[in-house]
Amino acid sequence: MIEFRGVSKTYPGSARPVVKDLSFEVLDGEICVLVGPSGCGKTTSMRMINRLIEPSSGEILIDGEPNTAMSGTKLRRKIGYAIQQIGLFPHRSIADNIATVPQLLDWDKARIKGRVDELLELVGLDPGVYRDRYPAELSGGQQQRVGVARALAADPPIMLMDEPFGAVDPINRSRLQDEFLRIQEEIRKTIVFVTHDIDEAIKMGDRIAILKEGGVLAQYDTPEEILTNPTSDFVTSFVGADRILKRLSLTRVSEMELEPANGSGEGLPTLSDRLTVRDALSALMGAGVGRGVVEGEGGRRLLTMEAIEGLTRGARA
Amino acid sequence: MPSPGEPAKAGDTLGLLQDLQPKLLDWGWIGENFGDEILPALIGHVYLSFVSVGIALVISLPTGVLVSRYRKAYPPVTFFTGILFSIPSLALFAFLVTVPGIGIGPTAVIIALVAYSLLVLIRNVVAGMDSVPEETKDAARGMGLTARQILFGVELPLALPVIVAGVRIATVTIIGIATIGAYIRGGGLGELIFLGISRNFPTRVIVGAVLATLLAVIADLLLLALERYLRPWARTRRA
Ligand SMILES: Nc1ncnc2c1ncn2[C@@H]1O[C@H](COP(=O)(O)OP(=O)(O)OP(=O)(O)O)[C@@H](O)[C@H]1O
Ligand SMILES: [Mg+2]
Repeated sequence: MIEFRGVSKTYPGSARPVVKDLSFEVLDGEICVLVGPSGCGKTTSMRMINRLIEPSSGEILIDGEPNTAMSGTKLRRKIGYAIQQIGLFPHRSIADNIATVPQLLDWDKARIKGRVDELLELVGLDPGVYRDRYPAELSGGQQQRVGVARALAADPPIMLMDEPFGAVDPINRSRLQDEFLRIQEEIRKTIVFVTHDIDEAIKMGDRIAILKEGGVLAQYDTPEEILTNPTSDFVTSFVGADRILKRLSLTRVSEMELEPANGSGEGLPTLSDRLTVRDALSALMGAGVGRGVVEGEGGRRLLTMEAIEGLTRGARA
Repeated sequence: MPSPGEPAKAGDTLGLLQDLQPKLLDWGWIGENFGDEILPALIGHVYLSFVSVGIALVISLPTGVLVSRYRKAYPPVTFFTGILFSIPSLALFAFLVTVPGIGIGPTAVIIALVAYSLLVLIRNVVAGMDSVPEETKDAARGMGLTARQILFGVELPLALPVIVAGVRIATVTIIGIATIGAYIRGGGLGELIFLGISRNFPTRVIVGAVLATLLAVIADLLLLALERYLRPWARTRRA
């Protein structure tokens, strides 16, 4: 567990704090997304966890211990960190870049090699092709994936990821996000994830911390709560006018309670129950009819506009 | 009349004419004196240059690294080494031989050559350190590398090509200036040149000058190759 306790940061020579009295907890095995406009102190907050930046006041506890209990370098070897600017070592091969922390921890060669290939596969880069290349021979998005692999290398229990998919194209980003969520199901790391993209925050976060200008925490909640009950105008406008639709993208059709389509489904469009409700809604509207048949493990069931509206009840602005 | 390189036969008009206008290149002399005079001068020159650059590097590397960290020290360091660099070489040699404990000989030459290299070398060490991308160092720190590991594992390897570029300039400069060192008995190819001038025997002068130039060119090319070799990551590769 990572616990911010009244953490503030004022950079030397600056009058105003960039992070102000931040208090929240990141639970074990959860992804906590820090989101907010540019310059609101996301990176600063994240870097105080592994003490690349020391807070001006307040403290950060990791598993109940102040993060100042051990040396900064020792702490950082236990926390995977993918920095915003990627920062691969230009003079080392992709394999050596990924192997940085395992080498520091004196893993044996065979184990390191196995781990490197495993991680390259994981981030969707063919080890045979990319292992021995230098960073300059990769595209920005590929470099970023190597950065994520490098942060994961020594299997740290805590990961800090600063806009880790920012340079990846939308299709690959979506694929990486899915892949990452799938892996997270298994490895259950405690992850602090920075983005300025609210959609990414909603998709990735178990909990979202919305920061506003001046590093003030505007709201800290689950994506559902933030979309359903934004507590301030700032959050409302930050999540966007389409928050009801966003809310629908959090639920899959398979999770809805629907009536069986006993014969009434003739001539209606057929949808997979793996779709998000938002995508299903889009499909229904595209088909020009208010209803459709969902196919999946629950058999053939009837999806109606009314059922979808039922989901958004309580989330009306 | 200047004394000729080879004794002229008295009374021989042709020989006398040759004395006044000596042959530019006497291949015979080169062949006869290669082992005794030319080769030792060449080796002496390599030694002077090599030792000087080596010592200068030993001073410049830590100085450059420190100065790149404590930026305030950079202007005074460049000022001081800049002054050293601007002293005319002959004047510096002449001064050094008067210093007790140094006197005439290679030591004075080496001290002067080291003094001349410092500016270029320190500047390039600092430029090399500055060329290391901020985010690379940041990522290194973020993964828990110590300051020492970052210096030796990240900063110096990345700075090395720029440092070697500085070594190239310093080496070529030093090989040139080292010839003047013969004036205070430093040895090296300058001895051939000075002796050739004083005895009016152009072959010596030409051999000395050509070898010094060749040496500089070869050293430059070798260091260029080293520079390339140290930067394999900059080579583009087609998959
Ligand atoms: N080393 C520093 N010294 C002084 N001010 C800084 C420093 N680093 C960041 N700042 C300032 O602190 C504020 C917050 O910066 P930070 O990098 O934490 O923002 P961010 O939320 O990560 O922004 P972005 O989304 O653009 O990455 C900014 O106004 C920035 O200019
Ligand atoms: Mg940032």
